[in-house]
Amino acid sequence: MIGPNGSGKTTLFNVISGILHPTSGNIRYKGRPIAGKKPHIICRMGIARTFQIVQPFARMSVADNVLVAAMYGNGLNQVDGRKQAGEALQLVGLAAKASLTPNQMTTSDRRRLELARALATGPDLLLLDEMMAGLTPAEVDGVLELLHKIQDRGVTIFMVEHIMRAVMTICNRVIVLNHGEKIAEGSPSEVTSNGEVIKAYLGDRCA
Amino acid sequence: MRAKTLVPALLILVAACAPLAISGYWLRFMTFVFMWIGLAGSLNLLTGYTGYLDFGHTAFFGVGAYVTGIFMVKTGVPFLPAMLAGAAASAVLAVIVGIPTMKLKGTYFAIAMLAFAEAMNQIVLEADRLTGGGNGLSLPIYTNYQFFYYMMLAAVLSILGATVWFHHSRFGMALMAIREAEIAAEMSGVDTFACKLMAFGISALFAGMIGGIYAYWMTFLYPGDVFNVLMTVRMIIMTFLGGAGTLAGPVIGAAFLATIEEVLWAEFRYTYLILVGAIIVTVVLALPRGLVGLLRRDEPSRS
Repeated sequence: MIGPNGSGKTTLFNVISGILHPTSGNIRYKGRPIAGKKPHIICRMGIARTFQIVQPFARMSVADNVLVAAMYGNGLNQVDGRKQAGEALQLVGLAAKASLTPNQMTTSDRRRLELARALATGPDLLLLDEMMAGLTPAEVDGVLELLHKIQDRGVTIFMVEHIMRAVMTICNRVIVLNHGEKIAEGSPSEVTSNGEVIKAYLGDRCA
Repeated sequence: MRAKTLVPALLILVAACAPLAISGYWLRFMTFVFMWIGLAGSLNLLTGYTGYLDFGHTAFFGVGAYVTGIFMVKTGVPFLPAMLAGAAASAVLAVIVGIPTMKLKGTYFAIAMLAFAEAMNQIVLEADRLTGGGNGLSLPIYTNYQFFYYMMLAAVLSILGATVWFHHSRFGMALMAIREAEIAAEMSGVDTFACKLMAFGISALFAGMIGGIYAYWMTFLYPGDVFNVLMTVRMIIMTFLGGAGTLAGPVIGAAFLATIEEVLWAEFRYTYLILVGAIIVTVVLALPRGLVGLLRRDEPSRS
């Protein structure tokens, strides 16, 4: 999902994940309405998310950060939770940093931690809110490789992203929001050549 | 690692044997120290783990005390069941009050609880047929001071047991996650509201238990004493002075503050409060993590 700043991308994520409740309309997930349910219920139904501004559990170890999600999001006991958390950390490449605290890590690693925490809940749908903003090109490549691995596991990724290279390689369907409305939908190449989209981003004269 | 189990074991042993050696003033002083460790420890279970600062915590101490007293005086129930009823009443009350107030964020929760404690004060004053109101409530007199020493010690040990459980359980980890980032905890599958209510209930249960022992020990209850905001302030200072969200924090904080107050009060009758204030400010500035910060280096709250 792309769109100019203030077009409502994060708001939509907040509505889907249950942090905000819609004033009208419906949200269906696997055929079931989820609008108005609490975030922890939605999480347990299989939707996980990361935050644009990372929200780690700061005074807990990296391993415990992910363990909470494995236990509560995936209904595991401590022993199985640790195993699942370990696997998630392995996948995102933080296994060696499991005993650090989040504030001892780089921004890029904290984003990976959020991803591990989201994955530990055992999601079918993963909402990623500008995971790659502020990362160096090399770090972006690392994250893209990781996202491909996650997709290969059968997890659907729904992401808000401004880095077009990322959108082009990860996404097979792109939605464009502007002023809270969907103005275009289609494959990445269809969307980027759409006149409405160019107008929304660059103004009338360029369209 | 061995010191971690050896030191507490030794302390418990010393505490258990102390009444063989001390009596009178020192026994009374130690019982008071245990009472404050217990109160700070009960506050720590909520505030130290969920991050919700309860500025009306003394309400649960007071309710535990009054329910215990009323049961003993009005219905002649023996002390132990009366005290357990007091503790249970405090826990139930916390859950009822928590349903609206636990939806508030940080500061607003603190203010709501401050008002709640004041409201409890007024209710107990007004319900004088039951509580004795402004005349106070006198309990049966019992002068076996070793009994109260051991009751307070037992309450402290059960509170510390609950703290250890918080540190190692699934539930405790959820509370810490709430303290660190509530929305992220909720989004990780934690039913934050239910967990907070549960922590609040447990915390109030222990405050009520201490209140019940206090009531029988003091044999006289007055609303302005037990529902006094200064009671809560002391619990908060002790918890943070020692180190919130740790096992040893409330123990060290309460023992430290009670001791320096006692020493300074005896030596400097008119200026001791100024000195106590100066010491608190110094410790807070020098050791933002509390006195336990002296004992360990920067490590996650679970290791």
